[in-house]
Amino acid sequence: MPDLEQQLTALAAEIEWPPTPRLHVSMPLPARREGRGWEFPIRLSPRLSRPLAIAAAALVIVAIALAAYPPSRDAIARWVNLHTTIQRVPNPPTPSPLPSGSTGERLHLGSPTTLGAAQQKVTWKIAVPSTLGQPDEVYLKEPPSGPTQDEVALVYTERAGIPTSRLTGVSVLVMEARGKFDEIFFQKTIGSEGTIEEVNVGGHAGYWITGPPHDFFFTQADGTRYFDTLRLAGNTLIFDDNGTLVRIEGDLTRDQAIRLGASL
Amino acid sequence: MEGRPADDPDLITRAQRGDKAAYEEIVQRYQQIAFRTAYVVTGSAADAEDAAQEGFMKAFRALDRFRAGADLRPWLLRIVANEARNRVRSSGRRHQLELRLTEGFRPGDAAPSPEAVAVAADERRRLLETINALSEDDRLVIASRYFLDLSGEETAAALGIPEGTVKSRLSRALARLKARVEEAASA
Repeated sequence: MPDLEQQLTALAAEIEWPPTPRLHVSMPLPARREGRGWEFPIRLSPRLSRPLAIAAAALVIVAIALAAYPPSRDAIARWVNLHTTIQRVPNPPTPSPLPSGSTGERLHLGSPTTLGAAQQKVTWKIAVPSTLGQPDEVYLKEPPSGPTQDEVALVYTERAGIPTSRLTGVSVLVMEARGKFDEIFFQKTIGSEGTIEEVNVGGHAGYWITGPPHDFFFTQADGTRYFDTLRLAGNTLIFDDNGTLVRIEGDLTRDQAIRLGASL
Repeated sequence: MEGRPADDPDLITRAQRGDKAAYEEIVQRYQQIAFRTAYVVTGSAADAEDAAQEGFMKAFRALDRFRAGADLRPWLLRIVANEARNRVRSSGRRHQLELRLTEGFRPGDAAPSPEAVAVAADERRRLLETINALSEDDRLVIASRYFLDLSGEETAAALGIPEGTVKSRLSRALARLKARVEEAASA
């Protein structure tokens, strides 16, 4: 009998392996379908090519990778040809204890300001949800850490019927930034526990997102793209209010968030 | 040089600069060995496909941390194999890796006599059955080293064990395999 190792080496050529699938890792920009929101044409393996699977798998892939490798966002930015400055916003791994510092510092919201001062600075009409009333704190984030046309954060520390997030210490965070609707794309990244659902917010197309902290991109008015992290461990509503991208983050139910968004 | 395949360092440099085509070439170059490595770890073609897909995505995101001058293949295989092991852990199940023989002869084989064909095929089949009956650790290290033709470093990466352990584990696996083959022959 030939040497056992020789037999094994010879046997290698006779092993029947499953066919190697063609793997794709490119991430082309999504195209918007007329009247139907966005589709995410991330090319995946044929086995995952069903429409629902495409969207889910694409999101999960980005989510897991981003969650696992937060320092690699520069690489992602280069891959999708992002030209804006990437702000690294660490995903807090646990909801407690709260880090020290003011809300703005803890959540990287920018500089504290007032609603009036922020309104004078930005080019769009800052929308305030009537169901929440005046914000307790307002922050303005400008370039280079913020989007090219700034970002406004409205902080609601406590509101009846909405639990205070153990992660951030506030009830609701409303973020507003300018972007072109037909070029906006975001790739909300969700973990295996996350979900994404297309919703209508007062006539505006939007997405209801649940799950752990996640990241997303959006296209700014000048065509460049901005990367940011949704901060709360809870749920998020994102929608386009006539060119202003609005994000509502908090431990809200879906219906609560949509009502809140529709009250802007 | 035009027409000549780019070497790995060149592809890595280009991919790190954001050249999609370069990274896609890396994927194409290593997708078969990555998929098969993941298959050995998971025992499932579907899980292996997902692990390889995910592994290449993670590798891309980690390109900035790739150490210049290091070998790309073991680095990629480590990431893919880690992903495969994570899938096995998270699903709580590992499929039994069942290796099988291809049917017929490879192109270029000399035409042996029908009797020799039958004997050789029977020997190979029995050897593979014996391997399939080994413990998981033994089966995986033999498959990695001989069937995937992984280096010691790559085998260590695929199995998630220190490189020094590969040699001792392989040695013990071969000893057990040899004992079983001899036991079967004398029965």
